[in-house]
Amino acid sequence: MIKIRWFKGQWLHFTFSQLVIYALMLILVAFTALPLIYLVCTAFKPMDELFVYPPRFFVKNPTFKNFSDLLVSLGSSAVPFTRYAFNSILVTVTIVFLTVIVSALGAYSLVKFHPPGAKPLFNIIIMALMFSPHVTKIPSYMVVNSLGLINTYGALILPNIAVAYNIFLMKQFIEQYPDELLEAARIDGAGEFRIFMKLVMPALKPAWSTLIVFSFVNNWNDYFSPLIYITSQAMKTLPLALQTISGGAAGMSVGRAGAVAAATFVMTVPTVIIFTVMQGKVMETMVYSGIKE
Amino acid sequence: MSKQKRKRKQLSMRTKDRMKGLVFVSPFIIGVLAFFVYPVFLSLRLSFGKIDNIIGLKISWAGLTNYLRAFLIDVNFVPIFLQVVKDTIVKFPLTIVLSLIIAIMVNRDIKGKGMFRVIFFIPFLLGTGEVMKQLLNQGVDTQVLSITDGRIIPYNVLNYFGGTVVEAVQNVLGVIVLVLWGCGVQILLFLAGLQSISPALYEAAKIDGATEWEVFWKVTIPMISPMLLLNLIYTIVDSFTNVTNPMLEYIQSYGFTKAQFEYGAAMGWIYFLFVGLVVAAVFALMKNYMHTNEVEEVKKHGRERKHRVFTIQGSKKKH
Repeated sequence: MIKIRWFKGQWLHFTFSQLVIYALMLILVAFTALPLIYLVCTAFKPMDELFVYPPRFFVKNPTFKNFSDLLVSLGSSAVPFTRYAFNSILVTVTIVFLTVIVSALGAYSLVKFHPPGAKPLFNIIIMALMFSPHVTKIPSYMVVNSLGLINTYGALILPNIAVAYNIFLMKQFIEQYPDELLEAARIDGAGEFRIFMKLVMPALKPAWSTLIVFSFVNNWNDYFSPLIYITSQAMKTLPLALQTISGGAAGMSVGRAGAVAAATFVMTVPTVIIFTVMQGKVMETMVYSGIKE
Repeated sequence: MSKQKRKRKQLSMRTKDRMKGLVFVSPFIIGVLAFFVYPVFLSLRLSFGKIDNIIGLKISWAGLTNYLRAFLIDVNFVPIFLQVVKDTIVKFPLTIVLSLIIAIMVNRDIKGKGMFRVIFFIPFLLGTGEVMKQLLNQGVDTQVLSITDGRIIPYNVLNYFGGTVVEAVQNVLGVIVLVLWGCGVQILLFLAGLQSISPALYEAAKIDGATEWEVFWKVTIPMISPMLLLNLIYTIVDSFTNVTNPMLEYIQSYGFTKAQFEYGAAMGWIYFLFVGLVVAAVFALMKNYMHTNEVEEVKKHGRERKHRVFTIQGSKKKH
């Protein structure tokens, strides 16, 4: 037993093995947090600190110049940064909203109604789970193209709604929902859609909170869809715009390094906000019920 | 007569129910057909064909030409492929072991475990996309040493060892950072597995005089084997379909910038088949070690329904 003096004369008691665990944890946390710290610090670094050698993690004279650079330097080009941000937000929010509804409805129907073709559909879902989406990118492009959706928000939104993973997640939850409640509601004369909205959805709150976070993160960071379906600058979303700002895939243009760092930082903010809001729910469901089932 | 009539009515009720279900699931079906099933079919056809006319999408049969090209003509395909395999082999065991260790530690009764869980999960939020690429561009994985500004390991000492050693250390640290950044989901999966183990098992093992080490190998590992399998597969698939994966970039370049759709599709299928084979091999290997605890649940209405859980999740269901 090791005692460590805490403030106000209190003593914290640790066993030796606990101390070892804490030490190990702290090292691992430090490693995990490194890129995060770097990300935040770089965004606030003035120009001279960005290129100092040997490179430094922490910022000495924090500045907001990078952020104003981001707005100004892009403002002079055809498309302002805010437009990218707007595109990203619009597309991601629409996808998340629609995918939650479509997946929940679909999973509910698959589990509780056994519609014709449920079995093959389920096999397709499982296959899609294992399938690398990149194999089908080119044909997907052809589909989107033939629908005349290239360079529209539709191209970014529609292909990402019916996602196998999402319906699978919802299915796992809905299977636990008791049939008796549905029957009781039916006897009381509630319509099917009303049952779904008033009974099933509220009960599935943990499921769709998890889904919201997952779907938001995936689509917010989605790089391939805009790369493939979008050619016009004004329709690009943040992940792709980030590359444009940094001066293409080949290499970073030196003058924009600060703006890139700031843009990277800005891009991570919404995912962190969503996660913090939903955090409790997600961790609980994933640990206690969600993926486990 | 009346019995028959009732039967018919019942049947039609059920059919009505199923039709209602069909309405509910139809948006999903449309989406999957348009953006998954049809593209899969089309890409398979492309990979065996040759586009004669892009406008009407006329494809003629070209046999294995595209597949052979990848191995016999293309000088880049095989080296990139091997590079990807090598990367995976290095990172994949590290990911599994590290995330298992972290999950076990976070699962213990320690202070602030909620916070630890969040910290380990955050990289998943940020590190899956372009942000990670950008960070790698800025050299975050090679600058681990510089964070200390030479305080922990003074620069003089490093200089004394020479450039290669420093570089090696940097690389190892960089790999650890990258691996830890890819651990978020795995940690959660393991955690879910660990929490489903009944404490009674541990108590029994303790009473029988098992050491912690024995308990780990004889209780913990078998009990989380379904999660282990799921994690192995998740990690493999994730590592092969990562944004930073050079193979995918290469395939992409043929698909889009060079507009050779057929060859791109063929490479995609070779790649997918390889990943599929690896996954199948893992399945086959793990099958013997799997702790099977499939619960046959007797559902209401006296109807016995087999637990319909995706096989790789094959975990037990607790009620």
